[in-house]
Amino acid sequence: MADPVTMTINGREIQAAPGTLVIEAARKNGIEIPSFCYYEGYSLQAACRMCLVEVEKAPKLMVACTLPVAPGMVVHTESQKVKDARKYTLEFLLTNHPLDCPVCDKGGECELQDMVFRYGAGESRFTEEKLHVQEQQWSPVVFYDGPRCILCFRCVRACNEGMGVGALGVVNRGSVSLIAPNHGDHLECDECGQCIDICPVGALTSGTYRYQTRPWEMEHTGTICTHCSNGCKTTLGVRNDKIIRGNNRDRSGINGEFLCVKGRYAFDFYDHPERLQSPMIRVNGKLEPVSWSKALKHVAEKFSEIKARNGKFGVIGSNHTTNEENFYLQKFVRQGLGSNNIDHKRTGDVVTLIDALSGTTGTLATTADLYEGKTFLILGADLAIEQPFLSFQIRASMRHHAAKVFVVTSKEVREDAYAKKSIRKAAGSEIEALEELREALAAESDLVIVFGSSVKGEAVRKLVAFGESLGKPVKYCALVDYSNSRGAVDMGLMAELHPGYHPSETPGMTLPEMLADETLDALWVINENPLEAAGLASDKAFVVVQDLFLTETAQRADVVLPSASAYEKNGTVTNVCGEIQRLQKAVTVMGTKPDLEIIGLIAKEMGLAPAMGPWVSETVYGEIRRSVKGYDIALPLVAMAAQQTAPVNGRVNVADKSALIQGAHETLFTSGTLGRYSKVLNSVIEKRAGMSLAAQEESHV
Amino acid sequence: MANSLTDVFGAAAAVAKGMSVTLREMMSPTVTENYPDEPPKFQERFRGAHVLQRDENGLEKCVACFLCAAACPSNCIYIEAAENTELVRISGGERFAKTYNIDYNRCIFCGYCVEACPTDAITHGHGFEIASYNTSTLIYRKEDMLAAVPAGAKPPVVHEPAEAGAH
Repeated sequence: MADPVTMTINGREIQAAPGTLVIEAARKNGIEIPSFCYYEGYSLQAACRMCLVEVEKAPKLMVACTLPVAPGMVVHTESQKVKDARKYTLEFLLTNHPLDCPVCDKGGECELQDMVFRYGAGESRFTEEKLHVQEQQWSPVVFYDGPRCILCFRCVRACNEGMGVGALGVVNRGSVSLIAPNHGDHLECDECGQCIDICPVGALTSGTYRYQTRPWEMEHTGTICTHCSNGCKTTLGVRNDKIIRGNNRDRSGINGEFLCVKGRYAFDFYDHPERLQSPMIRVNGKLEPVSWSKALKHVAEKFSEIKARNGKFGVIGSNHTTNEENFYLQKFVRQGLGSNNIDHKRTGDVVTLIDALSGTTGTLATTADLYEGKTFLILGADLAIEQPFLSFQIRASMRHHAAKVFVVTSKEVREDAYAKKSIRKAAGSEIEALEELREALAAESDLVIVFGSSVKGEAVRKLVAFGESLGKPVKYCALVDYSNSRGAVDMGLMAELHPGYHPSETPGMTLPEMLADETLDALWVINENPLEAAGLASDKAFVVVQDLFLTETAQRADVVLPSASAYEKNGTVTNVCGEIQRLQKAVTVMGTKPDLEIIGLIAKEMGLAPAMGPWVSETVYGEIRRSVKGYDIALPLVAMAAQQTAPVNGRVNVADKSALIQGAHETLFTSGTLGRYSKVLNSVIEKRAGMSLAAQEESHV
Repeated sequence: MANSLTDVFGAAAAVAKGMSVTLREMMSPTVTENYPDEPPKFQERFRGAHVLQRDENGLEKCVACFLCAAACPSNCIYIEAAENTELVRISGGERFAKTYNIDYNRCIFCGYCVEACPTDAITHGHGFEIASYNTSTLIYRKEDMLAAVPAGAKPPVVHEPAEAGAH
């Protein structure tokens, strides 16, 4: 590292690394230099002139956002000349900016409003009429109000650089410049809404939050998005027990301010009109609403009866429920019901990876590693579509430290555009391309390997062996598909594995085996929809379903128990990289109960409550800490920030069941059952078109 | 003797003096108001029950900016906003107050809301007969506070959106 540069800002001597921009150096030392167009992480624009500072021996004011520090440089940021310049800049920005703050959605959290308050002149000297352009709707979730735009081009850069989509551009010149979408009058993009978030004024507004409320009227609950496995933190704005918006402007959590369309908008499934709000029991072939006590009693009686005659239970856990719920469920099934027939929909081969890593120098990657790494190998995954945050991290790494990306997939993916090398291999045979890449990878200092569900079983072992043979630190990430898929594996929702990857002495039935078993006596499904794709072979099975909606599985059920979504409960979830994060309850939906409580109440009705312990998430987490290796992390730490769990504890000695693994391949606009009931996801044009973005681009060529 | 005479005249003078005040006041206009037999008179700036104003076209001035609710020290204003559409135009701006409640159980008539209002939509009227035996009637809705449509104004479209108001 080069020697730091010593310079003076406002009479204070400060040190900064060579090449640092004056604005950054000042901010790092607690000196505020206002700016609109300068945005950490994106390219420099120097468009807004807000960051003008006085540099001694320079004839004019200098733009701090493009000025690198130099030895002996003397900068003044609060001189009268600078203050005047800021005032005039704001006066110019306001020449066409309408003063409709009372109706503007940004009012109260608007950077321009704050700046004018702090640095601006009280009155404008302009008497000319303001330019007016009609407001446009670009998509169901993005509105553009031209006159409010101050042309900082943050949205353009966020879309181009951050998302790699490039759906926004600038048309015209000078004061009549406008931001324009890629398809004439509408957007065809990821609909991630980052342009809305990053807009310092109310030029880009959200179609769902629009005119609903004002920022200070909401209570904000920081929780974890319940869709894909990336585990982005989303801060939900709640008013009157209704979730109004999701964003993450405070940059807390692993994802900073990144959110995809699902994290930002697709919380809306929670108050879908078809949401179940009362338990139901099948009476004369029809599901009839009943009270909770009656439904729970019925389930408990049936379960007790089946248990007494040594009947066969089949329990299917969820990819969305919390670690506490998963742990409590498997404990109840294994100890309470005395069955090992518990499983979940497996979407990635974490088990083989952990087994293969045992005794090697390889480790599991964190989401931060996906930004800090210098070389990436993506195997069999359409990252930008299926794992949007991981893809965002790798793109940022590529932009900021010229990371090299290698891609081996069966079809074209967006990463091809900036990959050093892209190789096409049929799904399942991706590792055949490894030798081809050996030379290129061996030349790099480190490597992060991300692989999708098509790389499983023996292929994972070969992959780890290949990584080991490179002789450099290699980190791995086995992609899974849903918000707590990883947690479900860790918590032992597996026929052959107990929590913490302890092999079961008497492995139970796996999910397909349960469905195919004609002698199954009871099937208990928690927030999963296995009967969507497959039939249930056993006619006599007593089916209990806990779900948010009347899914195909719930329609077959004998008892349906309405459960709470992730936004309605506390607990922890583990993301694709094994990072544990905390869910916080944002709202309550009438008639529902969290799955943990439902399982606990069934146990209570069966007289098993003393053995199972209290169904309080904090207490259950305490038990997880004591019994699941790698999860010994204090809850206050988890509440503060995501914590990496380290479940690598030697060999996982079980039969290879990787054949059961099936990637869900959810796109940006689908999310299993939850996606079906999200109005926003179903309203965007990209979803209606029914194609991935890559496919659309092909069709445009 | 002389003393008693002085007393008599002195007393008479005092009575006359006192009566002169009485007689003078009898002639002057009364200050006491004859409420409730007659309507009371108010100072112009009296802060009474709120009135939500309309503009010259009869549209509501309130654009649901929530500034009154933010300024309110007793937290008695509750607003739900909604967007004007081409079919249903309630206010002059893009947004209007779908629900606008003032809880007079809590209101302290401080006038901060009126001061905060950027569109002069909320004002203090002279209404004061708010007392009630039933506190639930003290929550005034938008309809209770809206000014009448001015004469000659093109009346606003009145059909309300489906879920308006029920709070």
